[in-house]
Amino acid sequence: MRANFAKAAATGDEAPLYFYAHLFLSHPETRQMFPVSMAHQRDRLFSALGDVVARVDDLDALVPILQQLGRDHRKFGTLAAHYPAVGASLLATLEHFDDAWTPELAKSWSEAYDLVATVMIQAAEEAAGQPAWWEADVVQHERRTIDVAVLQMRPRTQYDYQPGQSISLETDLRPRLWRYYSPANAPRPDGLLEIHVKARDGGPVSSALVRQVGVGDVLRLGPPLGHLALDADSDRDLLLVGGGMGLAPLKALVDQVARNGPARRVDLFVGFRTGEQIYDRTALQQLEQANPWLTVTFAVSDDKTSSLEQGEVGEVVVRHGPWLSREVCVAGPAPMVDDTVSRLRQHGVPPQRITSEVFAPSRPGPSVDGEVTE
Amino acid sequence: MSSTPDGSGNGDRGMMPADLRNVQFTRAPMLHPGYVDTEVDRVIHRAAEELARHIAEKAELRDRVRALEAQVNGTPVHVPPSEQAVRILAVAQQTADHYVAEAEEFSRQVTSEARAEYEEQVRLARENAGAIIQAAQEAAAKIGGGVPAGADTGARSMEELQEQVAYLKAFGQAVRVQLRSYLEALLADVETEWGRADPAGLPLAAPRPPAQRAGHDDDTGPATTFADNTVAESPPDDAGGSLPATAGSRSSS
Repeated sequence: MRANFAKAAATGDEAPLYFYAHLFLSHPETRQMFPVSMAHQRDRLFSALGDVVARVDDLDALVPILQQLGRDHRKFGTLAAHYPAVGASLLATLEHFDDAWTPELAKSWSEAYDLVATVMIQAAEEAAGQPAWWEADVVQHERRTIDVAVLQMRPRTQYDYQPGQSISLETDLRPRLWRYYSPANAPRPDGLLEIHVKARDGGPVSSALVRQVGVGDVLRLGPPLGHLALDADSDRDLLLVGGGMGLAPLKALVDQVARNGPARRVDLFVGFRTGEQIYDRTALQQLEQANPWLTVTFAVSDDKTSSLEQGEVGEVVVRHGPWLSREVCVAGPAPMVDDTVSRLRQHGVPPQRITSEVFAPSRPGPSVDGEVTE
Repeated sequence: MSSTPDGSGNGDRGMMPADLRNVQFTRAPMLHPGYVDTEVDRVIHRAAEELARHIAEKAELRDRVRALEAQVNGTPVHVPPSEQAVRILAVAQQTADHYVAEAEEFSRQVTSEARAEYEEQVRLARENAGAIIQAAQEAAAKIGGGVPAGADTGARSMEELQEQVAYLKAFGQAVRVQLRSYLEALLADVETEWGRADPAGLPLAAPRPPAQRAGHDDDTGPATTFADNTVAESPPDDAGGSLPATAGSRSSS
């Protein structure tokens, strides 16, 4: 099976191209589950399949992955009935690219696929208690800078998440393209969610969210995913370091301390390139004034005329140290996170007390979408 | 239509419209009057039409019966798509992808150029404003230069005051920093002492890898989902502590 898969994978784009064309021709109703451009979807299919094939002997590792995939696929509108369709096209593809195809090979692939599909379908059915997606109304949309908007939205039904988690969302303006954003607040009694969006150049979803979406529009939310989280047993003082849009999950953590405690000092450092890019300055300053346990420090790395702290945010943080007893959360673009984490380790903060999350810059195409990724 | 010779393809049995049309009646002898042949012809023609209609209707009904049977059996007649169709669709999809990619690339270029232009304009405007303000200040100083010494002492004491404020601010900052360093050092001491007394009490976890966010924007959909998974599955902190932790904060939210 591995040798056979390698043959198909070696063709690069050809095999996934064949697979999707075959699937859409035999089951035209599946086409609308995918975005217009399939380019990134195709890359994803074979890397996911490769992951499954690589772990095919290690069911203990494979099953949880498949379960997660099965649950994830609910928001794409995947039904149990779609799985056999995918299986048939997959077999046709593998056969097409293998001269040495045999009925035995077909049999073992189809058995393996049945197993995969069963696990995924079961996981999806077990998750049927919660909605596959939630609809949320945009109730406020503020353009803060030339390319950053802050959106407030209200899910129509209860949406549970932890501060620091991120949620995938989709807009009708860019159907079938799901992107992850972190709420910038802890769950509130009125259910409002605040998200911060930066329009990436050429990014189809982020640009639409910043420039086209407005009050009254409806967004679809997928289930939340965990990243940063506070250790609720600890009441250590916190050091939060954000770069650019990495601010959002950290602001949610501040909000969590404000709402739920335990009482602790929180020092928040946020780095931007220039002073005008600090899109949430007023709100953060208000927070700082309202809460004596909170300090907020802004740093700019490329704005010599600014009166704010100068330098990379990690550098500024260490300058304000020591931070040896803190629990630290870092979020932002990869270079900023790497730089900050290594500076803090050098500074002497124990590595197990540093949590970090990288906000990777956008790729123009689809990210987590489509249904056929077994 | 039905009068074509092909219409009798299955004509080995039963009468076909063509057969009716080809019927030749023997002419009656002069003394015994027979049927008027135009009437006979007309009747034959009508019969042929009728028969043709029935045959067509039968074929249609047969198709419908088959479709219904297929529906009842729950086995939709599924023909795998032809190689040619697959190839055509694949090429069409590639073309579409290409257009989308080009549009995105174009949008990226235009936006980044616009942004660069915008930042440049803002920078120029700010420099300009700075220069204007400086010129205004110089002009004000020139005008103020003629003012007698009384105002000058006022300005000097103002300056002194400002200096003092700055000094006090710096002093306060320095004291705060020292205090905090002292406190942090104390805390660290307490921790090491505690750690020495009760090594099991300290978390001995490996450094946490940065969580790669699945697709904030990223490129590797399911692959990152895997990464997320492993992160979720094995919290690097001691599991005993973090499990109730999540449960606790969930209930409190």
